[in-house]
Amino acid sequence: MIGSQSIPYKEMPLRIIWSVAFLSLVGLVVLNSISQQYQGRFLDTPFTKQFLFLFPAALIAYIIIFIPRYTIHKYTYTLYALGIIFVLLPYTGNPHAGTYRWFDLGLPFAIQPSEFAKVFTTLALARYLSDHTLQMKHFTSIIIPIGLALVPTLIVMNQPDLGTAIVMMTPILPMLYWSGARPFYLFLVLAPIFSMVTAFHTTAFTLWAIVLGVVIITARPKLVLSLFLFFGNIFLGLLSPYAWNSLTLYQQNRILTFINPEKDPLGAAYQIIQSKTAIGSGGLLGKGWGEGTQTHLKFLPVQDSDFILSVIGEEMGFMMISTILIVIGYLIMQILKRSFLSKDRFSSLALIGIAAILLAHVFVNTAMTVGLIPVKGLPFPFLSAGGSFLIASYIMVGLVLKLSVNYTD
Amino acid sequence: MMLKADNIASLRQYYFAVGITCVLITVLILRFFQIQILGYAQYSQKANTNRIRKVTTSAPRGLILDRNGQILVDNLPTYILKAVPGELSQKGKTFGLISDIIGLDSNTVLKNYKKYYRGRFIQTRLAKDLTFYQVSKLEENRLNLEGIYYQQFPERYFPSDVKASHILGYVREVDRSIRESSTNANEYELGDIIGWTGLERSYEHFLKGQRGVQFYQVDAYGREVGHVADFPPRDPEPGQNIITTIDINVQKKLEYIMEERRGVIIVGLPETGEILGAVSAPDYKPELFTGLILENDWNSVLYHPEKPLVNRFSQGLYPPGSIVKMITASVMMDNPDFDPHAEQICEGVYQFGDRVFACWYTTGHGSVNLTSSILHSCDIYFYKTIQYYELAKLAQYFRLFGFGQPTGVDIVGELKGTVPTTSYMNNRYGRFGWSKGALLNFCIGQGEILVTPMQVFNYVNLLATRGQALRPHFVNVDQISENIKPNLNTETWDRIIFDMGQVITHKNGTGKRALPLIPGMKVYGKTGTAENPHGEDHAWFIGWMNYHEKNYSIVVLLENAGSGGVVAAPVAREVFKDIVKVNQLVSR
Repeated sequence: MIGSQSIPYKEMPLRIIWSVAFLSLVGLVVLNSISQQYQGRFLDTPFTKQFLFLFPAALIAYIIIFIPRYTIHKYTYTLYALGIIFVLLPYTGNPHAGTYRWFDLGLPFAIQPSEFAKVFTTLALARYLSDHTLQMKHFTSIIIPIGLALVPTLIVMNQPDLGTAIVMMTPILPMLYWSGARPFYLFLVLAPIFSMVTAFHTTAFTLWAIVLGVVIITARPKLVLSLFLFFGNIFLGLLSPYAWNSLTLYQQNRILTFINPEKDPLGAAYQIIQSKTAIGSGGLLGKGWGEGTQTHLKFLPVQDSDFILSVIGEEMGFMMISTILIVIGYLIMQILKRSFLSKDRFSSLALIGIAAILLAHVFVNTAMTVGLIPVKGLPFPFLSAGGSFLIASYIMVGLVLKLSVNYTD
Repeated sequence: MMLKADNIASLRQYYFAVGITCVLITVLILRFFQIQILGYAQYSQKANTNRIRKVTTSAPRGLILDRNGQILVDNLPTYILKAVPGELSQKGKTFGLISDIIGLDSNTVLKNYKKYYRGRFIQTRLAKDLTFYQVSKLEENRLNLEGIYYQQFPERYFPSDVKASHILGYVREVDRSIRESSTNANEYELGDIIGWTGLERSYEHFLKGQRGVQFYQVDAYGREVGHVADFPPRDPEPGQNIITTIDINVQKKLEYIMEERRGVIIVGLPETGEILGAVSAPDYKPELFTGLILENDWNSVLYHPEKPLVNRFSQGLYPPGSIVKMITASVMMDNPDFDPHAEQICEGVYQFGDRVFACWYTTGHGSVNLTSSILHSCDIYFYKTIQYYELAKLAQYFRLFGFGQPTGVDIVGELKGTVPTTSYMNNRYGRFGWSKGALLNFCIGQGEILVTPMQVFNYVNLLATRGQALRPHFVNVDQISENIKPNLNTETWDRIIFDMGQVITHKNGTGKRALPLIPGMKVYGKTGTAENPHGEDHAWFIGWMNYHEKNYSIVVLLENAGSGGVVAAPVAREVFKDIVKVNQLVSR
């Protein structure tokens, strides 16, 4: 095969292609139902927009298959740098609805650069972790990769877009784990966050202190270090309520609104109640296409993107919801499998990173629509309307198709 | 080329990753099972009988009042007629009945229905601006109008007999593009009202108010069956009223005077910068933008050749003509070697370089000094004197009196005009494309210099108060921002004010027609006759009168009307007389 640039179609993971095609199709069907509300404005409907974006998206995925693997590897840092410039671009324009998430090119639609930046960041991480044979047994070696992911994350967080920022940081943990970092170190990275969050609730904090103690004892670091880690975290936890109280009410509200933009109790509670009512009233088989009263009475907010699962739940029922979740779960596990079977480390890491991004989107979006976590504006891959995210998703599909085949180019 | 580093993931790591994915997906599926299968009965009942509908009610905008508390802009309670498409059994028949009752063409009803349609179960607008009478007649036919609803909607309404349309401005319905360009997406909803021009826009945050939110329970047919206990309603908060500096009586008189004319009048109090009345003529009826007006009237305003929609007092750019001669005089007075009593000969024409400059009075004024050249408005005196000064100096003094920059009046969209500087002229004509002759033009307010009547009003106020006037404004807010302060010496102020008095009182003064001959009244002013490339000269009169220790300033500009002294000055006299009348009425 050396010297051949042809694509061995036989080795292409067709299951991945079929899964993506299925999800995209379901997305179009649902968006078409929602689009009934746009009477007489066919070009404005989410369905039309999504349909038109599918072509360039698929084309880009197809082009990626023909790019040699070492070319992808070679330009990852360039892409990463471009990604960072890209997420800074919205700051040159006017804010959209008070945020700097979208960049206006004068086209009929705005671009959300953070969707692309998270893919590029994952590739950069994959390259860094595969180029450097890190001493993963040492804690310090995970600092640079974390910093690599942190730069775009902080910019996106400032836009502000907490949902995307969370997704951007997600791949780092599985990728570090994949390249051999001790789970204990990954635990240490997360520990301070837990310490600060649980500190506001006595029982939770006690439980956390016990878990922390057990983990530290099991991991057996040096005595001084383990004492430092344990008491450092406890101290941080005890300090955070004081730090919080020393903030002015205005600052506190700023932070609370940042964590949960729908802090207005009428707003968030209203959305979740409407979403759960829509889903629950769908039952096993749903009310039928275009028949969802909750959807078409406009009780459901942002139904074409963040709450699209609620529409599916109402109109197509539990059968379709579980099918969708199983298909996307299957898709993610296929990517994991390809990642495991991959011969080179770069591809393997890129694949696990992409799997993590997809899983984060699926979990955060779905858990939000069923009221398991606070309302976060994150779309569901392949279903939700939104051009930038659709194209970014298909870029990931293209990368998966490319990197999951072990040929020698 | 094979990438060098080998994959080192172990089977244990793979199983761990697959395990986490399985667990998360399973948790989500179980949660859906819990809601959709176990909770089906509960949620399904809730969806059918206990739906919550969020309804917002618009808050009435604040009123706009004149300085004595008389209402200029009020709210008229009108009604919006709506239909729920899913509840209309016979659309054609129902619409026919509606058009019979309210007297609106049934095609228009159908057109609105299609325009506002957003879904089978959502209320769609059929008509707006219904009166209480029309609604009560509809109510009599309640039984035949299934699926038809109405909602109260406060519409702007103008109860006074002044138009003041360019001051008050108008409001607009918020549409998609306005909403998307707003910095805070939740601030406005589609169909809300937003101040779009004039005071309605400048004081939007006072006038707006906060809309109310109510949560209704609705049944399976979308009918409202009561409030939701968990979500208490929030009542709309009406916007705050604003008190303007306008005096309805003065404004009315100004509008009467300008009825058949084209141009601007501004009248105000120089010390405070308060504007008592301002007219940009021709204007339009303020009702034009409320939707209570017919389409023909709208088109006649929109396509009128004299552009009534343009706000001439802050967006009209005019050559100022001789009214800026006091600025030229103050440039000269600033020179310690200048003698205001020194005389120059005016022979009607003056050759400077290879150009011939004429005085408006072609026979010539004979021997003139500073005072007589201002009162006759002689041009030659200024040509002969200014040629020893620099353009930069003149431009600096123009700016000192506020030209070339917005006055900061509280009406959005003000233009700043043009004060030609050396660099401006170089950019426009090239380094050697213009000569000092341009300076001779500028010193009498001709050439490239362009001003707005609002800048001229501020200029008059500064002259009347020896540089102490506040910024021109229509609404007294707590803090009127700083105005420019030209610092001239007392001698210069005295000279300028004396000369402006001579313009009115001297038997040959060009502004003598502005004097109303009322005992105890003193008038100061200056006329201007500005040549312009678009036809007849523009007539200017600027000045102020002092009556019972109170000053009233005025700017009159009549487009293409001829000589300022002949046409503009008598208009000022009319206004001065009327102010006295109004004041006596008020004090009595």
